[in-house]
Amino acid sequence: MTEKYQNFLRRYGTALGGLALFIFFAIAAENFLNPSNLLNVLKQISFLTILAIGFSFALTTSELDLSFATVGSLACVVAGGLIYHQFSPILAIAAGLFAGLAAGVINGLIVTRLKVPSLIGTLAVSSIATGVSFWITGGVAFVGRWADAFLFLGRGQLVGIPVLVFWTLIIAVFSLFVLKQTRIGIHMIFTGENDEAARLGGIPTQKMKVLGLSISGLTAGFTGVLLASTLSSADPTAADGFMLTAIAAVLLGMTMIEPGHPNVPGSLIGALTIGILSNGLILMGVEYYVQDIILGMIIIASVSVSASTITKAAFSV
Amino acid sequence: MATLLDLKSIHKSYGAVQALNGVSLTVREGEVLAICGDNGAGKSTLIKIVSGAEAATSGQVFLRGKEVHFASPADALACGVATIYQDLALAPRLQVYQNIFMGAELTRATFIPFLRILDKKKMSQAAADYLGRLNIEIKDMKAPVASLSGGQRQAVAISRALRWQASLVIMDEPTAALGVRETAQVLDLIRQLHDQAVTIIIISHNMEDVVAVATRIVILKNGLKLGECLTENLTAAELSRMIALGDLGDRNIIRQTAVE
Repeated sequence: MTEKYQNFLRRYGTALGGLALFIFFAIAAENFLNPSNLLNVLKQISFLTILAIGFSFALTTSELDLSFATVGSLACVVAGGLIYHQFSPILAIAAGLFAGLAAGVINGLIVTRLKVPSLIGTLAVSSIATGVSFWITGGVAFVGRWADAFLFLGRGQLVGIPVLVFWTLIIAVFSLFVLKQTRIGIHMIFTGENDEAARLGGIPTQKMKVLGLSISGLTAGFTGVLLASTLSSADPTAADGFMLTAIAAVLLGMTMIEPGHPNVPGSLIGALTIGILSNGLILMGVEYYVQDIILGMIIIASVSVSASTITKAAFSV
Repeated sequence: MATLLDLKSIHKSYGAVQALNGVSLTVREGEVLAICGDNGAGKSTLIKIVSGAEAATSGQVFLRGKEVHFASPADALACGVATIYQDLALAPRLQVYQNIFMGAELTRATFIPFLRILDKKKMSQAAADYLGRLNIEIKDMKAPVASLSGGQRQAVAISRALRWQASLVIMDEPTAALGVRETAQVLDLIRQLHDQAVTIIIISHNMEDVVAVATRIVILKNGLKLGECLTENLTAAELSRMIALGDLGDRNIIRQTAVE
């Protein structure tokens, strides 16, 4: 019985912590339970969650992607720039997604072909993405009256719920399906678990790593498009701020459900916890910089619990 | 017995180091051949060449009379040569049946055309079948491999070879790092595999194990084949002495010296 209890705590302890946080703010922070505030929390964490899920695909194949945030910004200015210049929304969306995917494929090739550790390779791509973003915009942001169809993507509502929440759910469910029910998914997991064994078993591990990093790039591209739509502007640093929060969400997620390993439900709960924390602190009037301090502590605490996977991803070629 | 594998004058050098200096040997269908020798004798190198992990510098490999060139372990596997590595090449966090079907998962159709999903039920049942053939009891096919004993893990690795329908299984130090009871279990697994008409090459440092399961022994020294002997009436002590002295004496059934 005690073993069962321990196992339960190991798998759901962090989620219970998140729930405790929710209850705390429900009591301590005025307006926290207000439905419009709760919907706002969900809306706020959607970018973060989509980025986190993408990042966890890369991490599943035991590679890090430190470029997703700036790649998201790049996709944001690519899509926003095209809208701003009166191109069709479809073209703008496609171009934004393509920019993200291309960055992901490049990351994959750098890691598998040039044998550059992902920690370094993706950081370099991140720098390139930032440079290109500023080049495209000339250092300013694209702002203006944008097509309604494009704006619906990020600002629309369905049955009173922000469209952003639906995007997040669709991506989460689809990712869970790919990882748990398909051959590609389990091949990615095997690649991350035991690269050499997977290769001997006939799994194309290099391709799986390229795929993991490409998915991370594609979701970053999608996030960039959603940001351009939600903000109805495109800033060359639009998504940069999500870098640490998204990684923190994944790391927090790795302390639950499948402890030690990136997993979709964990990332969702991790993102939700971080969203609740930041919203609650704001409502309580706590200074904004406190969030950064807490975020850093969350990262250290999470990695100390699930160190091996992240160390392997960071320091093996 | 028909010849399954024939190695002819295999040389392998790593730069200036000669690991194998012209080794020829024959593996017959259905036998358990042990390759013995001290550290640096060339056992592992020889196995790597047969399993496709490394290419020989010169020499020929014949499988069922046809010359083969294995560029990778996957190549060898396609020809029915499976290698069970010392670290077993398993993913400990993943489940028993997932490990047995690693890289060759079974799928089933869904109501969406062309979308196939993993057939977990079928794989679990087949995995239980393979393990049953080895007389090993693992109750839960969904248990993570990390929760199994050393002997059980070996059984999972062997089941994978069965699933590949390998006709030649190479086992690299299968009893290293195992306790007494688990060693007995693994030796029993090897016998079970042998009973299924699978040909086995085993490398081991443990002489007791070698005389217990092998039918024939090839002894290497410094990249050369010293000779071969049968295990009938052979004791572990005698085998150790032969390896240490580098002389098989009357036991030798074939003598080979360096070619070229």
